Amino acid sequence: MTTQAYFRPRSLAEALGLLDEHGPAMLVMAGGTLAMPLINKGVSRPEKVMGLRQAGLDYVRPVDGGVYIGAAAPLSRVRAESGVPLLAEAVKNVAGWAVQNIATAGGNLFAPPPAGDLAVALLALDAQVKLASLKRGERLVPLAEFFTGFLTNCLDPDELLVEIQVPKPAGKSVLLKYGRLYTNTPAIVSVAVRVVTENGRAKDVRIALSAVGPHPFRARQAEAALTGSSLDSSAIAAAASAAAAECEPHTDPIASAEYRRRMTGVFVQRALAQVAA
Amino acid sequence: MASKIVTFTLNGRETEVMVKPLTTLAKALREKLGFTATKCGCYEGNCGSCTVIVNGEPVLSCILPVEEVEGQNVLTLEGITPAEGLHPLQQAFHENFAIQCGFCSPGMLMVSKALLDKNPHPTQAEVAEAISGNLCRCTGYDPIIAAVLQVAAGSNGNQGGSHE
Ligand SMILES: Cc1cc2nc3c(=O)[nH]c(=O)nc-3n(C[C@H](O)[C@H](O)[C@H](O)COP(=O)(O)OP(=O)(O)OC[C@H]3O[C@@H](n4cnc5c(N)ncnc54)[C@H](O)[C@@H]3O)c2cc1C
Ligand code: FES
Ligand code: FES
Repeated sequence: MTTQAYFRPRSLAEALGLLDEHGPAMLVMAGGTLAMPLINKGVSRPEKVMGLRQAGLDYVRPVDGGVYIGAAAPLSRVRAESGVPLLAEAVKNVAGWAVQNIATAGGNLFAPPPAGDLAVALLALDAQVKLASLKRGERLVPLAEFFTGFLTNCLDPDELLVEIQVPKPAGKSVLLKYGRLYTNTPAIVSVAVRVVTENGRAKDVRIALSAVGPHPFRARQAEAALTGSSLDSSAIAAAASAAAAECEPHTDPIASAEYRRRMTGVFVQRALAQVAA
Repeated sequence: MASKIVTFTLNGRETEVMVKPLTTLAKALREKLGFTATKCGCYEGNCGSCTVIVNGEPVLSCILPVEEVEGQNVLTLEGITPAEGLHPLQQAFHENFAIQCGFCSPGMLMVSKALLDKNPHPTQAEVAEAISGNLCRCTGYDPIIAAVLQVAAGSNGNQGGSHE
């Protein structure tokens, strides 16, 4: 263990001050379910670490049918208190009980694929993230623009992710995670869809995917394929094959890229069929 | 940075431990305090053998810095094992052949204890979900689930243990 200091700020202001003072030499950690295993194994040897558990960012605050989630809120609290069924379903599909108690909502947005099971639901719900720095204050970014690549995002080195804002979900939504087991399993693919209909036609469509690309993303071509349709089976099939075509899956010990692509089509089809039913 | 003293309640008793920054709860328990019932199979959050209960909730002590339990209530397997005999869950694990090599047992017992404290009469599916973060390479899980259900069936919500 080479870590010389473990800071536990008591407020966001203190956390931002510490980040400003120590810069990127200090590892930011929320629940630590991603960071601590790497530190235990010696893969990561941060000289300084800042833990966010005490920084007042662990709230889950339902507002007007939506919810504001502090970046360091444990997943178990999101599951119990968000009031948004899609988020509860997403957390139910993350790891096991003890991990849900430690892992945070914000941390899930930094998890490499095949993780990202909360992120995929947040994308389907049009979530925004609030980022803050000591010198430049706060900014709000749509979650879809937060992710920029594999393990990269638009967060600046002096910024913290502070809050996730979920507007009141309109329409009907479904989340399906496909893995090798029913619980506590890495995703082969995770799909979250939300469809708002008007006069029997799909007006607003969100089709979000995780574990089949460098980061959780919205399958825009699949969304376009379904928009304006009457959610009939041929429109659903077209959206499913568009999703399978536009995903960028990888091969890992859980599944091959080819299998992930096939299952992306299958599970988008199933999720949309549930929405249409 | 110098070592630091962390104070918390361990199995009902006020406890102090001197640790280097970022020392995990598992290391503090096993190597500093001599509470070795808690096992570490992986040190990366995957196996659940290091599960302990903090303020009623199961957590993985191998990835939790001990400083995070400052002032909190920590319960380990030592804390539910009576001076004489066995805790009802231990007894039921024994009777149902839910222990073979025994490496997963401390974690399984703690997560089962946390479940029954919250939900004294869980369904089979609820038990399976509760223990899903705990790997057992020997029993095939069914005996463990049977043991937990046996305790639930025989209890009125209170399955004893010295530090509820
Ligand atoms: C056994 C196991 C099973 C898992 N299963 C799943 C699963 O099924 N699905 C899934 O999606 N994930 C899974 N995960 C991955 C992970 O636990 C979750 O994604 C979790 O939400 C990560 O959150 P954390 O707070 O623990 O992250 P941390 O380890 O605390 O954070 C990781 C990194 O993210 C950055 N970071 C975190 N929070 C902030 C912030 N507020 N501001 C700035 N930077 C920040 C930091 O760089 C930090 O080092 C699993 C992990 C384990 C150990
Ligand atoms: S040792 Fe903690 S989960 Fe394996
Ligand atoms: S009894 Fe051997 S791992 Fe469970």
